Amino acid sequence: MASWLLAGIRLPLLLGAAALIGYAVFFASPYDLRVLTLCGIYALLVLGFQFIFGHAGAVSLSQATFFGIGGYVTGILATRYGLPFLVTFPSSIAGPALLAVIVGVPVLKLEEHYFSLATLGIGLVVLLLAIQWSDVTGGTNGLAGIPAIEIAGFAVADRRSVLWFVWGVVALACLLAHQVTRGLHGRAYHLMRENREAAASLGLNVAELRFSAFVLSAAYGGAAGALMAHVIHVVSPENLDLTLMVTCLTMTVIGGRTRIAGAILGATLIVYLREWFRVLENYYMIAYGTVALAVLIAAPYGLVGALERLRVFLFGRSTAKPPVMTTGALPAAPRQSSVAAPTPEPLLAVDDVALAFGGVTALDGVSLACRQGEIVGLIGPNGSGKTTLLNVMSGLYSCQAGRVTFLAHDITAAPAYAIARLGLARTFQHIHLVDELSVLDNIAVARAGIDGGGLLRAIGTFGRDHRLDAARRIAWAAADRLGIAAFAMEPCGSLPYGTRRRVEVARAFATGPRVILLDEPAAGLNEQEQIDLAERIRSFGADGMTVLVVEHNLVFLAALAQRLICLDRGKVIASGLPEAVRREPAVIEAYLGLDADVPELALTEPS
Amino acid sequence: MTFLQLVINGVALGAAYALVALGFVFIVNATSAVNFAHGDLVMAGGYVAVGLGALAPLPILVLLPVVAAIMFAVGIAVALVAYFPLANRPPSTVFISTLLCGIVLQNLFLVLFGPQARAAPPLIKSGIVHLGGIEISIQALGTLGVAAALIALQYVVFMRTQIGRRLRATAQDRQMAQAVGIRTSAVIAATFGFGTALAGVAGALLANQFFVYPTGGISLSVYAYIAVVIGGWGSIAGAVIGALMISIFQVVVSAYVSYAVATGLLYVSLLLIFFFRPQGIFGELVQRRV
Repeated sequence: MASWLLAGIRLPLLLGAAALIGYAVFFASPYDLRVLTLCGIYALLVLGFQFIFGHAGAVSLSQATFFGIGGYVTGILATRYGLPFLVTFPSSIAGPALLAVIVGVPVLKLEEHYFSLATLGIGLVVLLLAIQWSDVTGGTNGLAGIPAIEIAGFAVADRRSVLWFVWGVVALACLLAHQVTRGLHGRAYHLMRENREAAASLGLNVAELRFSAFVLSAAYGGAAGALMAHVIHVVSPENLDLTLMVTCLTMTVIGGRTRIAGAILGATLIVYLREWFRVLENYYMIAYGTVALAVLIAAPYGLVGALERLRVFLFGRSTAKPPVMTTGALPAAPRQSSVAAPTPEPLLAVDDVALAFGGVTALDGVSLACRQGEIVGLIGPNGSGKTTLLNVMSGLYSCQAGRVTFLAHDITAAPAYAIARLGLARTFQHIHLVDELSVLDNIAVARAGIDGGGLLRAIGTFGRDHRLDAARRIAWAAADRLGIAAFAMEPCGSLPYGTRRRVEVARAFATGPRVILLDEPAAGLNEQEQIDLAERIRSFGADGMTVLVVEHNLVFLAALAQRLICLDRGKVIASGLPEAVRREPAVIEAYLGLDADVPELALTEPS
Repeated sequence: MTFLQLVINGVALGAAYALVALGFVFIVNATSAVNFAHGDLVMAGGYVAVGLGALAPLPILVLLPVVAAIMFAVGIAVALVAYFPLANRPPSTVFISTLLCGIVLQNLFLVLFGPQARAAPPLIKSGIVHLGGIEISIQALGTLGVAAALIALQYVVFMRTQIGRRLRATAQDRQMAQAVGIRTSAVIAATFGFGTALAGVAGALLANQFFVYPTGGISLSVYAYIAVVIGGWGSIAGAVIGALMISIFQVVVSAYVSYAVATGLLYVSLLLIFFFRPQGIFGELVQRRV
């Protein structure tokens, strides 16, 4: 219990919360109670916004719209139809969520700025509707006379009960947010935010994660809007305004984008900043903007991020192993999905694949095949199509002609996450790790798509998240396999390049793949690190895993590959035993641009 | 009014919007950050013109260089406050810092000039020219002329001068530009200055016919954002074309329906564009680089 309390920044947060509750109970005037109630409503709005903005990393500008719709649904149902809270409140959550479901699929496909603008556009259309459709919405005046909350005859009418009721809802919302984000499922959001392709290549269904985050944010926004309508008894177009959206963004960034405590801190601070500056009359918004800007600059990771960094600065980082790692023997290597099962021959085959970008032909009828347990090197000059081929195999690009078969499945048009779940893992030229997470958790993310269990499982998991424990055990074994277990508890951001490379390979390995595609794994490593890495990759092959390595470094490949394939301008120009391929005139010409009288491609790095 | 007359009015408004979008896209290219204070900086330019016009009873055309110079300095100040301290954070952080800058500016205008709309003196003089059956105000003609001259100047500076090469190099790859000895911080500060000067000139041009008021910048920021998105993110020519499309749409459509409905239709068409062409009107469909 004591160690739980002292971990992270729990103690100051709990003390702060206790102080705030004490203030609310003993000292607050009726006006203060109202202000604290507003803090709770905004905290709810921000908690929702953290799903899409913080966790999914998409700058949505429709959070205020969801808030406004929630308010209008309550307003219309309560004033025009006299429906009770137990009907209006769920409807206010369902309404915005339904809008998010409808617009989510097309809108979430858009890239960053296009997504932001589309969500802004939706918000402005809804705002205009609210103003124009005055028969229902009351036009610019909005709807007045929304009753206080009443549940089964009990009226929540006086300010103190409203305060407790709102904060009760906030507490439930915090619990739900905690459930969604704490375990293995929550760790998946981190990688998805860092790089969507890397996440998809580990079997994470990025579209589904983004969609659920968007719908959750809408539901929270709707709940907050409904509560606001009951508290101030009015809904007006102001509830849908861009100004509210700006406030919500500011609260989220100032509090902390992904932390539950950040939502509460950000909302409370911003609401109170405005209260404190009201004495400045005309100048109050200037002071508010200036102070908010100053906080943003002084604490760029949010207030919670600043507190966490302060803790690390004062007391150092906790590098204690999770209890699962310290008890019992070292766990076994990751589950090799049915390695013993009879495998089709070949395991992975590419047939006549072609892909052009505009006028540039990247792949021009490439065919190759890999057998089980084979280590194949894929070489070729820059721009010859090696990485493009990897992208086609792993489902990140779709080819325009040809076929890719893996384990007797046609995976030509399959999405990347499905291919990864089938047992094809890969690494990238550029390393995509989550700097804030530990090495262990970075690797553990590899299991989130495969046996993370999805959103509903995450919500329904109480107590220890056994999926996370299991994932960490596998991650530990993978880290050990790559010789990085000693750094397992370090955050990835602080590690040297060579170690980061190995974390990435370990993460791909932790998916338990049948085939692993490595894109220039030796780039930037020193000689000793290269020898070590080659040794470890060779052991993958010995375990029956198929390895396809893209490399320029022929020394590295010579120690590793049983077979080389050379690409040039999107075509396979040579294939076979390494020595034979290196002697092939076409290969020498492609690499060196010389006539074929140079006897053999030197055993040196060409670049 | 004939359709042609409407289109010409739309183009005249679009010329000013084009300057707004041009300044916006400069900053986007140099920093990959969205400057959401941009519309408020347009208003600032308008207020500077109002203030200068009250001090010296001269046509705005004469005062434009002064407006541009003042706004250049304001732009650098914005960069120092809202961009440089947060340059290493995700772009959405700069989005918010510029939004906050915008809030400060809007309320500064409110305190200094009050909530009512103000008008700046005309560019040369007020009045209307008849060309065939079409009426064009001198202000609109002047706006077109100034915008055309500035867009041409921008093109020459960007494409033909060493400063322009440095700007483009920094926009394309900051680390590489640094490696070849370009002082990228200075270049980025200058980009904010240039972009804001363009915004200021646009504000001075708009402030005669369309007035300036404290919250007038918000919709301009949104229009600039839309123009740059439909024109293809980062494309300078696209931004100008996007701005023209928005203004023509607004002027032509609002002649037949109310202004509010025209604005609604603008956003609905934007959403439809996204639905059918997720890469923007002029964007090419490319697979994400991995």
